[in-house]
Amino acid sequence: MVDHVLQLKLALLGSSFRPGPTLNRTLAALALALAVAAAIVVLGATVDVANAEHRAGTVIVGAALSVALAITPLTSGLGSAMEPRRFASFPLSPRRLAVSLGAAAAVGVPGVLAILLGVGLESAWSATSTGGAAVVAGVLAAAAIILTSQYLVIVGTQLAVSPAARVLVTAMARAVIVVALAIVVTTVLVVRSGENGNTLVTVAGTLANTPVGMLWAAPGSDLAALLARLFGGAVMLAVLIAGWGFIVTRLLVSPQRERAAHHAAGLGWFDLVPATQAGVIAARSLIYWTRDARYRLVLFALPIAPLLMMLAFAIAGTPVPPLWLLPLPVLALFLGWFTHNDVAYDHTALWVHVAAPLKGAADRWGRVVPPLLIGVPLIVALAPLLALWSGVEGVLPALIGVSVGLLLTGLGVSSVASAVGAYPAARPDGGPFDQPPTLGVRAGWSQSLALLATFAFMSPALVVAWWGFTEPEWFAIAGIAGVSTGIGMLLLGVLIGGRAFRRRAPELLDLVLRT
Amino acid sequence: MGLHKKFGGAVAVNDVSLSVRQGSIFGFVGPNGAGKTTTLSMMTGLLRPGAGQVLVGGIDVWREPIEAKKLLGVLPDRMRLFDRLTGAQMLYYSAVLHGVDRERARARIRDLGDALGLDGSLQRPVRDYSIGMVKKISLATALIHAPRVLVLDEPFESVDPVSTSQFVDLLRRFANGGGTVILSSHNMDLVERLCDEVAIIVAAGILDEVRGPTSLEERFVELAGGRTAVEGLEWLTTFSS
Repeated sequence: MVDHVLQLKLALLGSSFRPGPTLNRTLAALALALAVAAAIVVLGATVDVANAEHRAGTVIVGAALSVALAITPLTSGLGSAMEPRRFASFPLSPRRLAVSLGAAAAVGVPGVLAILLGVGLESAWSATSTGGAAVVAGVLAAAAIILTSQYLVIVGTQLAVSPAARVLVTAMARAVIVVALAIVVTTVLVVRSGENGNTLVTVAGTLANTPVGMLWAAPGSDLAALLARLFGGAVMLAVLIAGWGFIVTRLLVSPQRERAAHHAAGLGWFDLVPATQAGVIAARSLIYWTRDARYRLVLFALPIAPLLMMLAFAIAGTPVPPLWLLPLPVLALFLGWFTHNDVAYDHTALWVHVAAPLKGAADRWGRVVPPLLIGVPLIVALAPLLALWSGVEGVLPALIGVSVGLLLTGLGVSSVASAVGAYPAARPDGGPFDQPPTLGVRAGWSQSLALLATFAFMSPALVVAWWGFTEPEWFAIAGIAGVSTGIGMLLLGVLIGGRAFRRRAPELLDLVLRT
Repeated sequence: MGLHKKFGGAVAVNDVSLSVRQGSIFGFVGPNGAGKTTTLSMMTGLLRPGAGQVLVGGIDVWREPIEAKKLLGVLPDRMRLFDRLTGAQMLYYSAVLHGVDRERARARIRDLGDALGLDGSLQRPVRDYSIGMVKKISLATALIHAPRVLVLDEPFESVDPVSTSQFVDLLRRFANGGGTVILSSHNMDLVERLCDEVAIIVAAGILDEVRGPTSLEERFVELAGGRTAVEGLEWLTTFSS
């Protein structure tokens, strides 16, 4: 029986390598998995457990990777998840099925990585007096991760009752993994830099008293804590095993939770947003940002432009580390400014908005959602890393504040500009580089005024941030000033832009009709 | 309640006045370039008139646009839809913009898909549709919020005969239920069969509202200046070998 389920699992793994549209995704996932595996091996071999900071780093990295690995099975869309209920129609005893599924979970990418993570812990401690304890902790931890991932698969399939919910579960699982990997990278960098060691030790100390961290901290504890943590780990695993048998038995006799099938379902983003005017405009906007060549061009250019700027400055002789502060504000400014002609991008489809009883502000709010969804997480995720690389003390709040401020102010200005100063744009069916024949002087005015206005409104925060380079306490103030300017300007921009849009909608339609 | 509409002053349309009874189908015909589309655009709030007034159920379209647009369903000619959306998404978009809630919108998408023979295509992007299919989805877009007044600019262009007769049945049902339809078309036979009243617009001004025994086509040709003998095209019948 066990070997049949294992065979099925291996066949599933093999089938993901079939040529087809999913092959690229499989290869990308595999590359990521190999990179993580290599990192675990290298870290396990090089970490120096006699050093308190290194020990703390081991705990944090171990805990972060545990969470990431446990949630990995949810990232592949649950299409072929080994969920107990799928075996309900076979003549199997629940106990044997529970054992088989547990064993099958160890085969496959997350299972192998979990085992490797346990081995990494053992190799880190192998030459010390607690090497034996590390072996026990590693085995317990790997088994716990594998079993927890099976619980999460069940929770995931319970939640994913509709196609939209399935997309949401997958997306959230992927987001968790990205965050966990970012934590790992940041931790390793901090440990290597040798600074902020105390923070690391505090975080690790807290984690060590939680289920995700206790086994990773066990080998480095004094005898009493070591025994307590190992015992805690054993209890955790026992509970997981006992609960697993119970849950498999229960699931086999409970009905599938599935929302009554809508055959007209599958509205994509529209299923995820509230059914309001601003909501559907946001969803429509998101679809265009991800599918329309004119928007996608911008998404490709976004990371490249700031890097080119950095390169130019570096060649001109500016020292490199502080230049890492440049990309995020430039990216935020560009992303906020880009939407200043959004209305013209709709071309004549704008009539749908003009003919509807549409509130101007709803139109404006819907259009700012995609850049906000792209920009804000990007800023929050990348700022700590870039601040660290820049080597400027205490610059993080200013970097986040100024970037967010530039993005929001840019969006506020654009909300007004696209209603007041719209100019002809590339047509939806043309190439992204096509320009309409009658661009006119208006285009130049709109573009430069939108950019200048954003700078002007943000100048107080920018100046304060500049003072921070001589007196670091200004950095925090610059951060607050940036964010509050941004929020204020966005609200004001949406309000004024909304009124202007409602008043000028027929003229805007007239403009796009003539291009 | 009678509907009253007046226009005037735009370059293409000179002082046109007409009124349409509730529950009737009103045909709007005229030669190319006479100002049909311009007039219909001004009626629906898409094009600002130079002067004049448009009343829908007593509400001024240009003074209280939000209230008036709740009552109107519009199918403009030669304007795109958001064609990256699938048919179902486009219908849902229009429904929610007009204040229809989620469940009702879904149910209506199904119903309209069945009624207009679109079920198979609703999950495909609108940009993959043929011209006739786009007309169908546009009509569905205009209908989905159950408007009181439908304004359709060339609704039958490029639509196959079977679908046209489906359209016609649908519009009849809509009018019998108390809805008002204003449509423009080049198809005289169809307009004559379908419409309760017809206005002919020639060179920017309404000439006549046609009733009586003469066929619409005869009257139309007469009003538009009569047939002119075709001259100077002798080469057309020399048939190059």
